[in-house]
Amino acid sequence: MNVEKVVFSFFIVLALTLNFGFVLGEMGNPAHHHGIELFAVIVVNMITTGLKLGDRSHTGAILLSTSLVADLQLIAAAIYWTVVVHVTKTGLMPDAMTTIVSLAAGALLANVISVVMLVSDTLMSRR
Amino acid sequence: MPATLEIDRVASVVLKEMRRPLVTLVVVYAVAILGMTLIPGLEVNGETRRMGLFHAFYFMTYTATTTGFGEIPYAFSEAQRLWAIVCLYTGAIAWFYAIGAIIYLLQNPHFLQALAERRFTKRALKISEPFYILCGFGDTGSLLARGLSDQGIPAVIIEPDDARFKALSLRNYRVSMPGLRADASVPKHLLEAGLQRSNCRGVLAITNNEEVNLKITALARLLNPEVKVITRSRVDIYEETLATLGRDVHIVDPFKTFAKGLSAAICNPVLYTLNDWLIGAQNASLEGTVCPPRGTWIICGYGRMGHGILETLTMHGIPTAIIDPHVDPGMAPLRKYVVGRTTAKTLIEAGIGGAAGIVIGTNDDGHNLGILLNARGLNPRLFCIVRQNGHENEVAFNAANADIIMQPSLVTARRILLLLIAPLLKPFFKYLMNLPLNQAHVLEQLLDRLRDEVGSHEKPHLLTLRIDDKMSPEVLKVLDNGQVLALGDILRDPRARSDRLATVPLMLNSGDQWVPLPWDDYQLKKNDQILFCGRKFAHNLMDSTLNNEYTLHYVRTGIDKPRSYLMQWLTKRMKPAHL
Repeated sequence: MNVEKVVFSFFIVLALTLNFGFVLGEMGNPAHHHGIELFAVIVVNMITTGLKLGDRSHTGAILLSTSLVADLQLIAAAIYWTVVVHVTKTGLMPDAMTTIVSLAAGALLANVISVVMLVSDTLMSRR
Repeated sequence: MPATLEIDRVASVVLKEMRRPLVTLVVVYAVAILGMTLIPGLEVNGETRRMGLFHAFYFMTYTATTTGFGEIPYAFSEAQRLWAIVCLYTGAIAWFYAIGAIIYLLQNPHFLQALAERRFTKRALKISEPFYILCGFGDTGSLLARGLSDQGIPAVIIEPDDARFKALSLRNYRVSMPGLRADASVPKHLLEAGLQRSNCRGVLAITNNEEVNLKITALARLLNPEVKVITRSRVDIYEETLATLGRDVHIVDPFKTFAKGLSAAICNPVLYTLNDWLIGAQNASLEGTVCPPRGTWIICGYGRMGHGILETLTMHGIPTAIIDPHVDPGMAPLRKYVVGRTTAKTLIEAGIGGAAGIVIGTNDDGHNLGILLNARGLNPRLFCIVRQNGHENEVAFNAANADIIMQPSLVTARRILLLLIAPLLKPFFKYLMNLPLNQAHVLEQLLDRLRDEVGSHEKPHLLTLRIDDKMSPEVLKVLDNGQVLALGDILRDPRARSDRLATVPLMLNSGDQWVPLPWDDYQLKKNDQILFCGRKFAHNLMDSTLNNEYTLHYVRTGIDKPRSYLMQWLTKRMKPAHL
């Protein structure tokens, strides 16, 4: 058993599951999407990105890029959340919530690609 | 540079041909426009209207091109209408003349050739990887182009014959194969093909004309001494001249190659089977060997093939009878020589009833098939070797069920392809041929190993691995660090280190050292060349090992190297003594 593999897979899968949990629910309903959950998704995603830095192989490069995409989408969602609540003070209206959730759903897709690559890479080796 | 020369030529031909039509157009337009501005128009409020230069040019533009918008900007006077008639006819005629000249130019064969050469040079210049110049796209050339394409090696093709050139343009290759319809023995065309470029690896002179091949070989030697030249020759005097041209000139004689193969089949059938399988002959397998019987052989057609085979058979002490329409005064009296066309009568005269085998080697496919059927009818137990001249007759020959079909173009193409993709195969076979008698088990062991690893009915894949920064950059990095890498390490399966890849290293070349069947503990050095024979999938996996530092580290040590910066830092802190 390889410690790096355990830590690495743990964070990649956790990023996906948390992301899925946040997106799940009625799209425009603020009661179904918790801010703390989005915060957790962003933190775990950033840790995952950090773990992927330094891999010089081809697979490593693509894994890193999917992580960066997820980060980008999630941070955009977080900024939008902050703007509607604190800057324009319009509150989490259903249309704002829909935008935030759809951005997070995009990040979810990037995380799915990450996990698929991880699984297929593991299945390739027979160790 | 030839490229700029061709562009100049195209431009100058266009300008020269278009000079007169352009001048005519300008003059006609000038006269018409001038007339239109001078001729008075209708009177309005006591003032004569005249057309300005801009309106006159506008009018001429739509009139000369027969568009005809009408009388713009004002209705014309009668005088203007009269001049408009002149403008229309002269203008339209001038345009027809100019368009005719363009069409004539487009049909000019010199212009078309110049355009084709320019396009060809541009496409040839785009090839950035190593490539070959293929002169001649006959049966051999097309087989060779297909083989090169399968290996992912681009080639530049020069073929003078129109029909063959059209055939080339219909082919579908995996890599770029620009073609030019031209005579390859003209130096300019070889230069256009990129003979003097640094990534030109070789010239393959395989036209049907021996003189042309010789000239191409000489030109290639003179214009780029670095380049490898491979040519086909079937006549001895040409071979002598070719051999004096230099050391990187290879001559392929299909009949000699085949005679050598037959010689191997007679004295060492196992080796023949291995050879057949390695070169990828159709239906070749490692099981069951072809074994030409001893006894009297009949040779029909005493041409180049007949000569080669007679030599081989005589060398092995096998009696022969020859049937040929031409009288050969130099024939030793020992042999039976029947003069005449091969028919049932001459076959019986040559003693077909008691013969063991027959070699049908005339240069006429219809005749060859006829003799084959005839001979089979007279003696069904005959071992038949038949020559197939044209590639298009393949189906008929396959149906004829001969023991060995000899197709000169195929023999040549395979031989050249092996010289290009597996240059180590020749020294490997030389080693096997010269094995001393007490080591005959080496061959059997090798065959067993190949059966196990590759499978006897599988098509083998040959790979020549070079330890350099192009093909195996990560291996070179390991070696440059002063670390040791054994041949056995790169043969490990990157998916599970304890397994071996399904491939067998056949020959290794390191400097001037040649190692047949190298052991696993051989330590790789820079610029080594190794020939592997195995499954394509195994070679793909090996390629991934050679190009990925983590995989290479794993197969070498069994340890998964930490990949991310964080893990690298942690590993260093936890085990400062490591490495």
